[in-house]
Amino acid sequence: MDWLSEQFTILSKIFFYLIQVVHWTILISVCAYVVALLFGLIFGLGRISQNRFIKALSGAYINVFRGIPLLVLIFFFYFGLGKIINLDRFVAGVLAIGVCYGAYMAEILRSGILAIDYGQHEAAMSLGMTKWQAMRHIILPQSFRIVVPPAANEFIACLKDSSLVMIIGLREITQAGREYANQNFLDFHTWLVVGLLYLIMTISLSRVVKVIEKKFAIHGYGVKKNAN
Amino acid sequence: MLIDIKNISCRFGNVQALKDVSLTVDSGEVVVILGPSGSGKSTLLRCLNALEEIQSGELNIDGFRIDKEHLQIHEIRLEVGMVFQQFNLFPHLTVIENVNIAQKIVRKRTDQEARKISIELLNKVEMDDKLDVFPGQLSGGQKQRVAISRALAMNPKIMLFDEVTSALDPEMIGEVLDVMKQLASEGMTMLVVTHEIGFAKEVADRIVFLDEGKIVEDNNPTDFFSFPKTERAKEFLAKVL
Repeated sequence: MDWLSEQFTILSKIFFYLIQVVHWTILISVCAYVVALLFGLIFGLGRISQNRFIKALSGAYINVFRGIPLLVLIFFFYFGLGKIINLDRFVAGVLAIGVCYGAYMAEILRSGILAIDYGQHEAAMSLGMTKWQAMRHIILPQSFRIVVPPAANEFIACLKDSSLVMIIGLREITQAGREYANQNFLDFHTWLVVGLLYLIMTISLSRVVKVIEKKFAIHGYGVKKNAN
Repeated sequence: MLIDIKNISCRFGNVQALKDVSLTVDSGEVVVILGPSGSGKSTLLRCLNALEEIQSGELNIDGFRIDKEHLQIHEIRLEVGMVFQQFNLFPHLTVIENVNIAQKIVRKRTDQEARKISIELLNKVEMDDKLDVFPGQLSGGQKQRVAISRALAMNPKIMLFDEVTSALDPEMIGEVLDVMKQLASEGMTMLVVTHEIGFAKEVADRIVFLDEGKIVEDNNPTDFFSFPKTERAKEFLAKVL
């Protein structure tokens, strides 16, 4: 029993040490996700634009940032771009993740818009709405409901990938964990706790997503209210 | 005359949906468009609402010409209400919001004004007990009655009905046709694509018979159904009657 309680003491000590920097992980993920949403919305709409130039530009953005490893992007934004225009670690890290996830988000939003029956466009236009009015009042509110589950998954993925910014010295939980493990020679215990912390965050998030899905569910349309 | 169609043609890729079609419709007329499937009936209606582009010819509604150069196409659409086979109600909005939304956005009515008009119209189609229900909870016939109210709320001069009873269960067809009959009796100008021969006989002022993208016969219902002039119309009637 002594051995077990000793293990528990070590683990809880690490846990309370790491929890002090957990706000950095959350802050990086949230900021990066906001950037991703913004870029996703702009380029997702751009992808279905009738203007050829905007369409091509959006396509290029998606292909480029989806096709480069996130770690390489982080290096590029911090050591490359960051040295030229003087970006600090936090901004460079957030931008790298945000721009990368923005490409995935653009595709998700595009598919959400294309999933809406064309009859909805026609009905809106036959009532005299312009394209933008139809988009804003009829199409996007419906796309939103389709997009919530995959977009929320992106946030969970984004949260996990925020660990990559340790490489440029941002002290979030992965970096703090590495420091702790190196100083105390407690690799097994430390990485167990780091993993547990991520797991707590991701599992609680997927719970929240389900609540959101249910809140926006409409009877007889899309996700059923009583679906679990 | 309210609608003046001059020699319009409409093509989708290699398919010539309408060939050199001309038609005029006066205010208050109820015109039923008949024809075999693929004859261009729906395309003709959709052209009138600028949902399809015409390649040649001229389309005038209430003195305004509809073409792609015309920037105010959505304003002309206000004069023309359309009801679709698949209802196309907005599933994320309640019944009353479905009828309200375009009034507020396009006609710039206040919420109160829109609501008053909507309730009046929904009352007429006996849907005023379902104001806060979402379309997913309605039957096909109820959906279509809401869709008719939604179109009427914009105060159109012309109503287009594109096979509005074709997706309905047989017992619900009557309730939608009754609404249309009432509308016709109130003097609304209507163009109706339908397979309901009984409705055509009873309500139509004119029958326009289309085949292979052309108007083959344009006649009054009594003559059309009893003594069709063309061979093609005779064949068609022999099948549907």
